[in-house]
Amino acid sequence: MTFHNILIMRHELLLTIVMLLVLIIDLFATGNNRKLIIPIALILFLTVTAIGFLPAQYGQLFGGMYITSGTTILMKNVLNIAVFIILLQSVAWLKLEENKQKLAEYFVLILSTLIGMNFMISSGDFLMLYIGLETATIPLAALAAYTHHQTKSAEAGIKLILSSALSSGIMLYGISMVYGTTGSVSFAEVALQWGNAPLQMLAFLFFFAGMAFKISLVPFHLWTADVYEGAPVNVTSYLSVVSKGSAAFVLMLVLFRVFPSIVEHWQKVLYAIAVLTMTVGNLFALRQQNLKRFLAFSSIAQAGFILLGIIGASPLGMSTVIFFVLAYVFTNLAAFGVISAVSSATGKENMADYNGLYQTNPKLSLLLMLALFSLAGIPPVAGFFGKFFLFASAASKGFYWLVFIAVVNATVSLYYYLLPVKAMFINKNEQPVPTFRSDFYMKAGLLLAAAGTLAVGMLSIGYEYIASFSYGLQ
Amino acid sequence: MAFDIYDFTSLTSSIHEGLATFLPPVGVLVAEWLLVGISVLLFVAVFGLILVYLERKVCALFQQRLGPMRVGKWGLLQTVADFIKLLMKELITPNKADKFLYNLAPFIVIIVTFMAIAAIPFAKGLQAIDFDIGVLYVSAVASLGVIGILLAGWSSNNKYSLIGAMRSGAQIISYELSVGLSLITMIILAGSMQISEIIQAQSTGWFIFTGHIPAIIAFIVFLIAGTAETNRGPFDLAEAESELTAGFHTEYSGIKFAFFFLAEYVNLFIVSAMATVLFLGGWMPFHVGSFEGFNAVMDFVPPIFWFFGKVMFVIFVIMWFKWTFPRLRIDQILTLEWKYLLPINLLNILLMTLIVLMGWHF
Amino acid sequence: MNNELMFFMLSAVILVFSVLTVTTRKILRAAVYLLFVLVATAGLYFQLNYNFLAAVQLTVYAGGIVVLIIFSILLTSHISERAPIASAARAALAALVTVAGAILTLITVMQFTFRPAGIPPISPNVKNVGRALVSYGTDGYALPFEAISILLLAAMIGAIVVARKESNNQSTK
Repeated sequence: MTFHNILIMRHELLLTIVMLLVLIIDLFATGNNRKLIIPIALILFLTVTAIGFLPAQYGQLFGGMYITSGTTILMKNVLNIAVFIILLQSVAWLKLEENKQKLAEYFVLILSTLIGMNFMISSGDFLMLYIGLETATIPLAALAAYTHHQTKSAEAGIKLILSSALSSGIMLYGISMVYGTTGSVSFAEVALQWGNAPLQMLAFLFFFAGMAFKISLVPFHLWTADVYEGAPVNVTSYLSVVSKGSAAFVLMLVLFRVFPSIVEHWQKVLYAIAVLTMTVGNLFALRQQNLKRFLAFSSIAQAGFILLGIIGASPLGMSTVIFFVLAYVFTNLAAFGVISAVSSATGKENMADYNGLYQTNPKLSLLLMLALFSLAGIPPVAGFFGKFFLFASAASKGFYWLVFIAVVNATVSLYYYLLPVKAMFINKNEQPVPTFRSDFYMKAGLLLAAAGTLAVGMLSIGYEYIASFSYGLQ
Repeated sequence: MAFDIYDFTSLTSSIHEGLATFLPPVGVLVAEWLLVGISVLLFVAVFGLILVYLERKVCALFQQRLGPMRVGKWGLLQTVADFIKLLMKELITPNKADKFLYNLAPFIVIIVTFMAIAAIPFAKGLQAIDFDIGVLYVSAVASLGVIGILLAGWSSNNKYSLIGAMRSGAQIISYELSVGLSLITMIILAGSMQISEIIQAQSTGWFIFTGHIPAIIAFIVFLIAGTAETNRGPFDLAEAESELTAGFHTEYSGIKFAFFFLAEYVNLFIVSAMATVLFLGGWMPFHVGSFEGFNAVMDFVPPIFWFFGKVMFVIFVIMWFKWTFPRLRIDQILTLEWKYLLPINLLNILLMTLIVLMGWHF
Repeated sequence: MNNELMFFMLSAVILVFSVLTVTTRKILRAAVYLLFVLVATAGLYFQLNYNFLAAVQLTVYAGGIVVLIIFSILLTSHISERAPIASAARAALAALVTVAGAILTLITVMQFTFRPAGIPPISPNVKNVGRALVSYGTDGYALPFEAISILLLAAMIGAIVVARKESNNQSTK
């Protein structure tokens, strides 16, 4: 291994460097200098994101423990963009008096989880996958409990750490069975030896359950709503977009790489879980009043849609999943951005508080409307194409009933996605949220998300670009 | 039975063969377990008593007193008498204590010391188990002792006990780092964790001389941290009499109290023995380069005397600490560890690595 | 023969105390039973001649994690506290799920024909373990080793963020 080779893992290396830099700068920052950390960290991270797009070599390192390909790099870039937007959106919240003392920690924790996700995506064996998963989860609990003097935030932290500990335990049990039955944890080796003995089926189920916890698929979703509601808005958006997106990527990669030999079996599992997830997510989303809870259940339903892309076990499905996540990133971040802006300006998060928002903050209302339309899948914004491609890929493999159920669900979801829109534009309110101005960072974050939502929808080139990568893996 | 005071290998193997002639293999194993167990038990009891006597005499020395003089010649039987008194005492269990844990705690503390002694080399061939991870094993086992202390403090249902246990817990956990890191420093120099190999590597010179600067730093750190590990003064605020009555063992009486008391002194022995093994050459005689005559004279003294001589020296130094320095506050103790010893240790490891890599040691 | 005897003894300890750990109503006792389980597991590793792992098990789990657990119990609970008794229905359900899970796992494990691994075994002495931990080729574990340090750093920072007291009288001058 030479210096040249190690640059293959530049995403992780650069992120680690940035993380340590922020940590060290924080050591020397005092008083008002501390605020400078925000622009410094943002610029550093933007640089990393930009470098991520430079052409790169693919290959393996550390005896196959670390693998990159066009697909994994693309996935990491999608995550990077999402994190950048989230960081922009969280600046207003970070500048609040109560968070002044722990500015840098926010960046460090976010970056460390991102490193974990990158390792997870690039993992070539179960060991790295597990370490990546833990790195992507444990700091998140601290983030969820960030405003820990608020009971709800502390509760979110403890719920997240306990449920993720349980899911890690189950997953590790599955991995131990994988190791026991094949004598290896390397993906390539396990894939060669994988059969359909009952013990191996059990191992797969345990592993899948662990991943399903992370993506919050029904029936492993029970932690989601409380954690999403209690955590600070930006952390919620991180959980629902980046954390969930990365876990979906990893589930897909592992299913395709390690378990191709039992594809008929896991298709059945995914089928049942997808139907459950979409339906339950939608039904619960119908009755939520808190917007964060509302988006939590909507994101559960969206995760159900993602499974439609994975279930086809085809390169087409793979590229549709990446495309859907990209669309989902921009869309959800636009929605969360608006909520974050309103929340950090006024502290209000309930749907009733948004009554008459259009009168006072028309731009934000329009943006939230755009995002909700996209989530609902109304053309011509990004969400529509995302869903359309997913349905197409599942249908191309003959899952017509599943697609039918998904379409019914998408129709139901239209109803509840339009509820906040109705609240903002039609409902009357004696005391609507007062007009407020967001700072530069928030504007940039919202603008990026909005532009992404529109652009991904308009330009089908994006899809072609992604599809061109996705044939490297089977 | 071949008995050679310079090398116990022949003695132990002849015992083994002797047993094998009239016992089946399982029997030999069980008999050897028993033998080792009984010898360790005897050693702990006798050596514990000696140390208690020694402590009182050393204390008296520093305070310009005579110490115990009445029972036996120079008070030699004083601790024996004390011990008999302890055995006679009533065992009291506090009313609302957690009985199971309350009774378990002293056993955890004493069993842990037994487990650690198993890996201590008293002389050539006189070592119960010679693991390839010997040093790690000793520090791993020793780290269990704190559990007994914590349990004792909690299950007594007494606020003094609880505070004492919390203090000693925080202290032991913190100083375990320094002990571990200074051990690692010496392992780097030795190139092995097997205790017999570490001692063998010092046949040409003790590590404290061959490893010079970093070894001396590590030795000092080890002594400080080892003193803290054993909850001895000036780090004895876990049982600070003036404020906490007797700390975590306030509620214990009779033989159970004796267990804690004994365990403390045996731990003192273990720390000193580890210091001896890692820095002062274990049972290796003192050799100087190519002075053949001098080395031969040194070789004449049997290894077991070398070992106990060095151990006694280290024990004396640690007792010296206790009767010289005033007790530290808990924040001072933690500051000393986390802000001074730990960084020094980490740098010291780097320095040692550099020296070993460049071959700058002797 | 000796090994088998030791194995059965250690397994019995592990099984009995595992059950006790989850059934006792006193939280500190649960921690102590857990300690016994972990120490007995270390004993199993010693039986396998994997001394290094055994010592790590003792240091990290018994000496580290259990001590932390006990410490947090000491800080948060009182000696007279008891866990509430679960309702009969819940207990029955939990027992049912546990037994069913155990039986399912047992049956599947019994059905599987394990084959010895194709690669020749490596002696688990310290030298090999140490080399494997820091080498970066095939069978090297340098990458996970480093990745874990990131995890630990992040976990530490996270813990500080959660545990640190807010300083209320922060002057904004």
